[in-house]
Amino acid sequence: MSQNPMDRNRFEEIEAYVLGGMSAGERVAFEQEMERDALLRAEVELQRENILAIELGGMERTLGSVRTEQANGPVKNAGWSHYLKYAAFAAIVISGAFWMLTRPSTNERLFAEHFTADPGLPVPMSATDKPAFHDAMVAYKLGDYAEARGKWSVLLQAEPTNDTLRYYIASAALAMDDGATAIPLLEGVVAEPSSTFHHRSQWYLFLAYLKVGDAAKAKAMPIEDDPMHGEQVRAIKADLK
Amino acid sequence: MVHTPSQVQATATDIASQPDWVSGLRRNDPATVRALYAKHFAAVRQYVLQNSGTGNDAQDMFQEALIVLWMNVKEGRFKSGAESDPGGFLFRVAKNKWLDVLRSAAHKQMKVVHDERTTDAQAEVADDIDDRIVRLRGVYDKLDDKCRVVLDQFYFERKDLATIAADMGVEEESIRTIKYRCMMKLRAFRHTIAGEDNTGEV
Repeated sequence: MSQNPMDRNRFEEIEAYVLGGMSAGERVAFEQEMERDALLRAEVELQRENILAIELGGMERTLGSVRTEQANGPVKNAGWSHYLKYAAFAAIVISGAFWMLTRPSTNERLFAEHFTADPGLPVPMSATDKPAFHDAMVAYKLGDYAEARGKWSVLLQAEPTNDTLRYYIASAALAMDDGATAIPLLEGVVAEPSSTFHHRSQWYLFLAYLKVGDAAKAKAMPIEDDPMHGEQVRAIKADLK
Repeated sequence: MVHTPSQVQATATDIASQPDWVSGLRRNDPATVRALYAKHFAAVRQYVLQNSGTGNDAQDMFQEALIVLWMNVKEGRFKSGAESDPGGFLFRVAKNKWLDVLRSAAHKQMKVVHDERTTDAQAEVADDIDDRIVRLRGVYDKLDDKCRVVLDQFYFERKDLATIAADMGVEEESIRTIKYRCMMKLRAFRHTIAGEDNTGEV
């Protein structure tokens, strides 16, 4: 096995061979190459075993689920069914009381109804110029907002005026329900009309104000005509009256 | 959508002549696992309970046996002409594993009611399979959650990149990149282990 980095095309070629995704002609040619190349044979075996390890992890998770299903099989003691209606009634009363005590405010409800995290930027393989940024973007896309936010925050220290970093740190913060962190970052980008993220920042700032309960600032934002979110803004403002 | 990978390079004829449970395990089908569990667990449970074990012990032994069976299928040891009912294999492997537990220090005082251990299962199971399973578990443990999310779906659930991307709300190219990076992390880890062992094998 070589310890050198492996090109993605080569990786995917080996993957196709291991997973049976090659045509007959490709397979023959690849096997001829393997006969001549011991390093390639070792890479194929390594990848075959790594894939098997991933499959084993999945199979053990499946077995765990089946085991849980077995353990939670049908209830055999029918005598308890008599009490179930009382239990159900009690559960409804308790959950109703709980909801009354913990129901979200109008602002929080509107935020929850309308907030969808920015989907993030594509992570192409060609983006090798900013690996730290794209590593964080991978985390962001996989829903690991804390990790993304942490990595971008380090980068922001070196580039404090970078609007992309400020916008995505704010997006990650909002996805973590942290409106207070998002607001100053978004206000900065909103103040830069030339920024690519200007319009999107207006929408998320509007939502961030709702999140922290500052409905007055949200209502004061003149973004009813925003081409993407104007309709939502009008509906939310109508709800806030 | 699914792609059509095959861990073992079986021929079309092999696949066509396989019992359903073999092809099911080959493609990691949860329904096949459930069916095997439903049909064959009771015999293992009865044996373990009769021999000083608990229901949990029985579950452990059966799961270990199913993993061994699955590995055998994945590595092509069940081809055309294989036994059509895996119940005997599962029982023998689970039984031998339970006898190993009973013979361990903690269980030396326990009396074995039915010790009809044969060497059949040992002959069927490769000597190194337990070591291989332990090693593969170690590899999987090295993956972080982010990588598992993508790699599990692609390699275990057999979803294609477009489906994974759509489910996760990201671009297909991003999923392709994440998969590549995660597999390279795993490759680097294996190289590290190989260097530490200095055996040339990982």
